[in-house]
Amino acid sequence: MRVVIIGASFAGVAAALEVRKKYADADVILLEKQATLGYIPNGLHLYWDNKIDDLDAARFITTDQLKKETITYYLGATVQKINTTQKIITYDYMEQEELMAYDKLIIAAGSRQLSEKIDGSAQESVLKYKRYGEAQAALSKVKESQHITIIGGGQVGVEAAHLLTKQQKQVTLIESMDYVLFKYLDEDMIQPIEQKMIKNGIDLRLGQTVSSIEMESDQKVTVHLGDDSVTSDAVIMSVNVRPHLPFLDDYVTLHTDQTIAVDRYLRTSVEDVFAVGDCIQLSGPGEDMVYIPLINNAVRTGIVAAANLVKPTVTFNGSSRTIGTTVFGYYVASTGLTEEESLFTNRTVKTARQEVRLNSLNPSDTVTLKYVYDASSRVLLGAQMISTSNILEKINTLALAIQSKLTLEELKQADYFFHPLYTQMVSTTNLVSWMDERADEDES
Amino acid sequence: MKVEHFLEKNEVREITIFKKLVLNNGILSYIDMLDHLSISKASLENDLDSITSRVADFDTQIKISYDGQAIELEMSDEMSLQHIYRFYLSQSIKMEIINFLFKHHEFSITKLTQKLAISESSLFRKIKELNSYLKEFGLKIRNGQLQGEELQIRYFYFQFYYYIEDKSTLITKRSDTQIIQTVDSLEKFLQVTIVPENRERLTLWLIISKSRVSHKSKLYKQLRKQMQPYMKDPLYHRVHVMILRYYSRYSIEVDEEEAMIHFAFLLAFPILTEEDFHEYRLIRDRHAPIASLDTYIAETIIIHFKFRRPPYMLERDMYYHLTHIHTRLYFFKGDIEIYEYEEMLAKEKQIVGKNLVPFARTLLTTSTDKFLTTEVKDNSLIKMELLKYVSLLALISFKMTTVIQIGIDLKMDDLYKETLTELLKQKMRPISGIQIERYQPSKVYDLVLTNEVSIEENQYDEARVYILSEIMSSFDMMTIYKIIQELNT
Ligand SMILES: Cc1cc2nc3c(=O)[nH]c(=O)nc-3n(C[C@H](O)[C@H](O)[C@H](O)COP(=O)(O)OP(=O)(O)OC[C@H]3O[C@@H](n4cnc5c(N)ncnc54)[C@H](O)[C@@H]3O)c2cc1C
Repeated sequence: MRVVIIGASFAGVAAALEVRKKYADADVILLEKQATLGYIPNGLHLYWDNKIDDLDAARFITTDQLKKETITYYLGATVQKINTTQKIITYDYMEQEELMAYDKLIIAAGSRQLSEKIDGSAQESVLKYKRYGEAQAALSKVKESQHITIIGGGQVGVEAAHLLTKQQKQVTLIESMDYVLFKYLDEDMIQPIEQKMIKNGIDLRLGQTVSSIEMESDQKVTVHLGDDSVTSDAVIMSVNVRPHLPFLDDYVTLHTDQTIAVDRYLRTSVEDVFAVGDCIQLSGPGEDMVYIPLINNAVRTGIVAAANLVKPTVTFNGSSRTIGTTVFGYYVASTGLTEEESLFTNRTVKTARQEVRLNSLNPSDTVTLKYVYDASSRVLLGAQMISTSNILEKINTLALAIQSKLTLEELKQADYFFHPLYTQMVSTTNLVSWMDERADEDES
Repeated sequence: MKVEHFLEKNEVREITIFKKLVLNNGILSYIDMLDHLSISKASLENDLDSITSRVADFDTQIKISYDGQAIELEMSDEMSLQHIYRFYLSQSIKMEIINFLFKHHEFSITKLTQKLAISESSLFRKIKELNSYLKEFGLKIRNGQLQGEELQIRYFYFQFYYYIEDKSTLITKRSDTQIIQTVDSLEKFLQVTIVPENRERLTLWLIISKSRVSHKSKLYKQLRKQMQPYMKDPLYHRVHVMILRYYSRYSIEVDEEEAMIHFAFLLAFPILTEEDFHEYRLIRDRHAPIASLDTYIAETIIIHFKFRRPPYMLERDMYYHLTHIHTRLYFFKGDIEIYEYEEMLAKEKQIVGKNLVPFARTLLTTSTDKFLTTEVKDNSLIKMELLKYVSLLALISFKMTTVIQIGIDLKMDDLYKETLTELLKQKMRPISGIQIERYQPSKVYDLVLTNEVSIEENQYDEARVYILSEIMSSFDMMTIYKIIQELNT
């Protein structure tokens, strides 16, 4: 059996490794457009944060590891066409057009950070850095820039704003929504971060949408938004990513948003063709199909597709959109539904906010938590956390609770360790209402 | 644009024959018919033969007989002129072109000629005809696409599917869980209630929007200008937030103008209930163009009727309808004349008295002077809005003279519904021994008058149901009178 995988990033590599594990004698082939393997998309942030000394160190897999697993890979191989009737792939490799037949095909071609709406966003001087080559270019451009405009206040944009401010750069951040990180946090949770951003001198433009980007003669770049404009030395695009799949044939059904339609086994509309990672929609926190381009989803879908190659066995159980990051001195994490997003589901939710001490010492740092739960069953649906201490790991506990559909009451009975240095009388991830552990439940 | 623009000349004539017959209690002499149509006897015979072969599909529901002297039409109670229109439209090539454009966004001449099985030259001719009607919408079909401002494109499709094409087919085919969920989400985001009839409208609009949203290179020049005074509007803000959030859940890059399009729609069509609209009216900027025109026109009406203040709820109702009229005039161009303008006007004149019509014209002139600077003022939109002003004035005068609320269940735009219900009530008042009112689901009736076959079975329980062929026709009045007599014995 020959299994061909288009794209050797998280989803593709995870699928390849899992196929190898399951089918020792399968012929596993990865076709990857990039010249190098396994670059981590936010490697540049690691570099700016002084966590690595060289961008090249941001790799999640090496060619040696693939070789050891006897996985064949072609780097610099761009798939141009697939013919799902004849099961043949056409790709460019070393300036030649090549053909390859497959028995099973996994499409893991991911996404890119490109805007089709913002005029001028495709120019090279508008920085994107999901890929290694782009990151190198962005690195040197940012080095020589003083004022940088960031378009998009999602996780990537806010992280970049934070890391660039730390380097004494002047930053303008533009976000079309009323507040940043809106996919993960409700507005009432974001206040401390936004205040800190403003205090750090960030020019925060909220509720504004960029229409075009223009190069000036003096190497500067102007970003137009409504009647206003911002001119700076460089522009970073951190808008939503989306798939780019020009090589598909007409038999592969797409959704309106151009993602590939797959069933619960990650099978596409064509037999023996699977799609994974950033190319597909997943069942999200509200249990409807949404687009959640995250590495954990890429890896998990890769594994599930591999399990279903020969016969449908494992269904993909969806994503709670669990994220965690650190920006402007705060650790923030989120999983599951936010209160605002719950408006897109037919659930009635209630929320509770709580400030909890992190250990039994005095003074102790605290974490602010927000729970979103089903108003009638009291099953936990979402959680958000913000703290100046590193509480990121705790979000995984709540993510698991959500996946297991635990109620708030069941969560209270969860068995956690106690150590005065690290915990206090009741655990941080329980909704309690004792003493000064305030829990404001609201009726919304 | 008129519905009949989608038909060929002979087809329009055939429908005219039906209509004339309905209006004359189902029977007419050749002489009168020839006079009405101004055609030769041979052509009339041709038309009648053509009708006969067409209605063969309808079996016993429609029967037409003619003997060289008189023409006689028999229709079952469930049949209406609407059905006949629908039947003719379902065979129209021009309709198919629009349907094809909606479905595929573009066409190549070769593909379309094949699909429609017509020659290239007749396809070009049809497109040319369509373009002459689309002109008032500011649209044209060019290079295999429908071109123009995005708001206008969606507005046109909306009117087309709501009034001309069979909307229920499109809704049944395309209303998936995603669309249903979106309507529910909109209720939650805007904290409003979408009642069933408005829900149908909104669903259709969302289906059209969904099909258009990922279309590339949309035009918003006009819309952006029109939206200037509304960028801080509270309803717009909420719609904007919802749209951003909604599309952030998909890999769709949405235009900022998408929210503007929905904002215009929400205010121009009855989507919000009067109550929800009232909440919005309390917080909207009263100096923005539509609101200030609403106030101006409302004051003018109040003065005209010489009352110090109309009852509170009536005043609210007036604002509700005025905003729909004015939002249409502010944002949109063109319309589909769903009612025969002259006929409708004449009917309304009969009821409301002569002087309300000139007054309505004055109101319209005031409004169009305010909004339409260089635009052509003579188009279907203007005509339809005039009818709405007249209806509104009629409604106000009826309400002021306290008519007893007595089972009419018309399915049409709120404003027309209310007006026509009133007209019917008036017309039937001389009939003794009856109590007539607008249909209320909680009550029991002996007879329900409606204009569309209900989708739900037994919606009216035991009540006898009569489907109006043509509201206010003497044919209908006679039959209703007969039914009442039957029910009395
Ligand atoms: C700056 C940035 C930082 C991010 N940080 C995080 C983070 O911290 N945590 C997190 O969970 N997510 C993060 N993400 C999201 C994350 O990058 C994606 O969810 C993840 O990379 C998806 O993996 P994938 O394998 O599906 O697709 P991708 O990583 O997009 O990989 C697709 C691969 O397919 C290749 N390909 C595409 N077309 C072809 C073709 N025609 N022929 C051959 N090969 C092709 C591409 O070159 C690419 O290597 C970040 C995204 C960005 C932009």
